Amino acid sequence: MDAYFYIILVLGLVSSVICLSAGILKKAPNDTTILSVAAVELSLLVYLVGSIVRVAGGEQIAGEPWEFWGYLLTALLLPVGAVYWAILERTRWSNFVLAAVGVTALVMAARMNQIWY
Amino acid sequence: MTAKPSHEDIGTTPDPAAVPAGTARDTRNTGPGRLLIAVYAVFAISATARAGYQILTKFSEAPVAYLLSAFAAVVYLVATVSLAKAGRTWFKVSVAAVLVELVGVLVVGALSVFDSVNFPHETVWSLFGRGYAFIPLLLPILGLIWLYRRRPAPKRALES
Repeated sequence: MDAYFYIILVLGLVSSVICLSAGILKKAPNDTTILSVAAVELSLLVYLVGSIVRVAGGEQIAGEPWEFWGYLLTALLLPVGAVYWAILERTRWSNFVLAAVGVTALVMAARMNQIWY
Repeated sequence: MTAKPSHEDIGTTPDPAAVPAGTARDTRNTGPGRLLIAVYAVFAISATARAGYQILTKFSEAPVAYLLSAFAAVVYLVATVSLAKAGRTWFKVSVAAVLVELVGVLVVGALSVFDSVNFPHETVWSLFGRGYAFIPLLLPILGLIWLYRRRPAPKRALES
C-alpha cells in the first residue's frame, strides 16, 4: 500500500462519515457533503496524475495495466455521477448515495494498489 | 435547506401507456430508491467488468463460474435499469430481477459452501457475497422491501 492509497483511505472515510451523518440527521446534500466528495475526486485525480508520471518514468505495473486504468477511470466517474444525482434530487437519501462514494473509492484504491504491486 | 420535491416534479417522464396520470406510487427512483439504484449500479458495473475480464482472459479455467458471473452482471444491469424506470411493466421487471438475484445468491452461495470443487469462489454470489461484504445478500432483501412499499396502486398488479 502506497501513499496514494492512504490519502484516499483517509479522505474516503472522512467523506463517508460526513455524508452518512448528514443523511442520518435528515439533511439534504449541502456544501460540506458535496465538497467532501469533491476531495475524494481530487485525491483520485492526484492518483491518476501520479500514476501517469510513474509509468512515463519507466515504472512497471505488476498486474494487468488495463485493469488498473479501468479501475482508476471508473473510480474517477463515481464521485461525479453521485454529485450529479445528489443535485438532481436534494433529499437526505442523496447523502447516503454520496456516502457510498468514499467507501467504494477506498475499496477500489486498495484493489488498484494490489494490481500495481 | 431541505428541499424535498414531490414525486411528480422529479423530472422523470413515465411511460404514458403504463402510468395513469398522477400516480406517484408508480415511480421507484426517489428517496431510498435512489440509494438502492446507486448501489445496484455500482454492482452492475463491477460485475460486468469482472465477468468480462474473466471470460476474455481465462474462460476455459472455469466456464460455469464465469458464465454465472456474466449472468449475475446481467441481473444487476436489469435491476438497475428497471428500478430507475417508472410504470407498472418496469415494476414487474424489477420484481423478477430482484427475485432472480435473491435465488441466485442463495443457490450459488450454498453451492459454493457445499460443493467448493465445482464452484470455485469466483463469482459475486459465491459464499453469499462474502467478497463484497455480504451486500449481494442484503441488496435483494432491501430491494423487495422497497418494491413492496412502492407497489403499483391496485393489488392485482402484484400478480405475476
